[in-house]
Amino acid sequence: MKLRRPVLWALTGLILAAVAVLCLPGASYAHQDRDATLASASATHPAGTDALGRDRMVRVAAAFLLSLAGAIAASAVTTAAAAGIGTIAAFGRAAMGWTTMLFCDVFLALPWMFLLMMVRSALPLTTSPAHSAAITFLVLAALGWPASARAVYRGATELKNSDWMLYARANGLTCVSIFRHVVPNLFPLLLPQFLVSVPAFVMAEANLGALGLGVGEPLPSWGGMLFELNNSPTLMQTRWVYFPVILLVVVLILLEGVAAEA
Amino acid sequence: MSPAISALAWLGRVVAIVLLVILGSTVLVRFAPGYLSDAREMDSRYAATARNELASETARSRSISQMVGAEIGGWIRGDFGTSRQFDVPVSELIGARIAVSGVLLLRGIGLGWVAALCAALIASLRRKASIAWQIPATVLLAIPTAALATFCLLADSGGPVLVMALLLAARDFKFLDQALRKAWLEPHLLHARAQGIRAWRLLVAHLVPALAPQFGALASLSIVTALSALVPVEVIFNVPGLGQLAWNAALNRDLPVLLAVMILMAIAVTCTGIGAVWREDWKSA
Repeated sequence: MKLRRPVLWALTGLILAAVAVLCLPGASYAHQDRDATLASASATHPAGTDALGRDRMVRVAAAFLLSLAGAIAASAVTTAAAAGIGTIAAFGRAAMGWTTMLFCDVFLALPWMFLLMMVRSALPLTTSPAHSAAITFLVLAALGWPASARAVYRGATELKNSDWMLYARANGLTCVSIFRHVVPNLFPLLLPQFLVSVPAFVMAEANLGALGLGVGEPLPSWGGMLFELNNSPTLMQTRWVYFPVILLVVVLILLEGVAAEA
Repeated sequence: MSPAISALAWLGRVVAIVLLVILGSTVLVRFAPGYLSDAREMDSRYAATARNELASETARSRSISQMVGAEIGGWIRGDFGTSRQFDVPVSELIGARIAVSGVLLLRGIGLGWVAALCAALIASLRRKASIAWQIPATVLLAIPTAALATFCLLADSGGPVLVMALLLAARDFKFLDQALRKAWLEPHLLHARAQGIRAWRLLVAHLVPALAPQFGALASLSIVTALSALVPVEVIFNVPGLGQLAWNAALNRDLPVLLAVMILMAIAVTCTGIGAVWREDWKSA
């Protein structure tokens, strides 16, 4: 079982801890304790509070779960899109394959950060926090597929030219049946693509949020918490503002570890 | 394929990709749900006539063909259109900042590559992969660029070049270490080392020429990584470069500027990426 691996155990432990923190009575990421703004760690607020008196531990737990869920969903969408596009391009006519790869080149020619900023800046001015979170991860999913599609295209082309596939096609295997046989054979390629995309999307959300273009307040996100580091007086008052960053680094190392193990 | 045909094919591909980038970006922006809204229309300080003028300006830019035409026209004229925020030609804004970003990128990539190559060379000469080399690289890769830049700024140690170099060095070290480690295990190199030939001589005579194509591909990838890191680094260190300009444009919805910067980036990435392939064609010809 893969779960025996320490990296997965550690990640599962963190997820359970985050769920437990959010299930505590009175835990709310938006609740403000006006008498304890920028407070240090105490029995009431184990990781202190932010500039608005919101419990940092609850916000970190919510940001972790939100970011992880969003990144996993975006990664699933990206991988599914890459699988579909790459396979169709490989099994379609040569012109279709060429055009698809050119399209991938166009996407890959655009540095992610700039493309994300452009799309994010063209969104409505009155977006709710929940919508901004959904849009951020949707944009990540929409822009992340070309690299995976290229890898899938190569894998599917190799499969297309394999002996068993040539034999099956010569015997009149239908398109639907071809897909039914090809997709399971692409799983060893798709799983690493999926697992590699998760930390990449978490990182991209954090970088976008740190620039003020990510998930909207009061919804907590890694990026929103990094944004807090730009406030020098806050940093002078409490060292607990570094807590989310340290946890983010740990989470990213664990996610990279999971991807590397696959 | 002859070098001339290869060069023509390369040029054609660059032009096709750039045109598709212009078309794709314009369509993406035009159909984004908030394209037709302007923050100034909600500002009560603007008079009703000014707000009407803004609304009619937005209405004029509804047509995609007009938008694409204006964008290509701006590129042909050389002014890249007019900034919505500053009301000046975009070329004026970009011209003043391109050198700043260029120098930052060159220094960051150069320092990052030297650090990664030196570390990978030393690490790969050991028999087993040492965890002491891998841990710093893994941790550095897990720190978001914005956080790394903020830490450097708060610690008052290192500037934008160091952040860029650290990021690239960590990323490239992993690839270089793996490539070099594999290369040192080649039978002819093992035999040569057993004969007592010094490592640096083997490195210069055999290893670097053999790994040159991989190094070239990695260098292209480094440029893409550095371009993506440009925005957080320039914003946090307040460097007046293209990244900061793009960020400002994104916050103020100045889409002509953002579009022009993005197309410039696309040209840079396409040229480096296809340049690497072309070098290979040239070599084989």
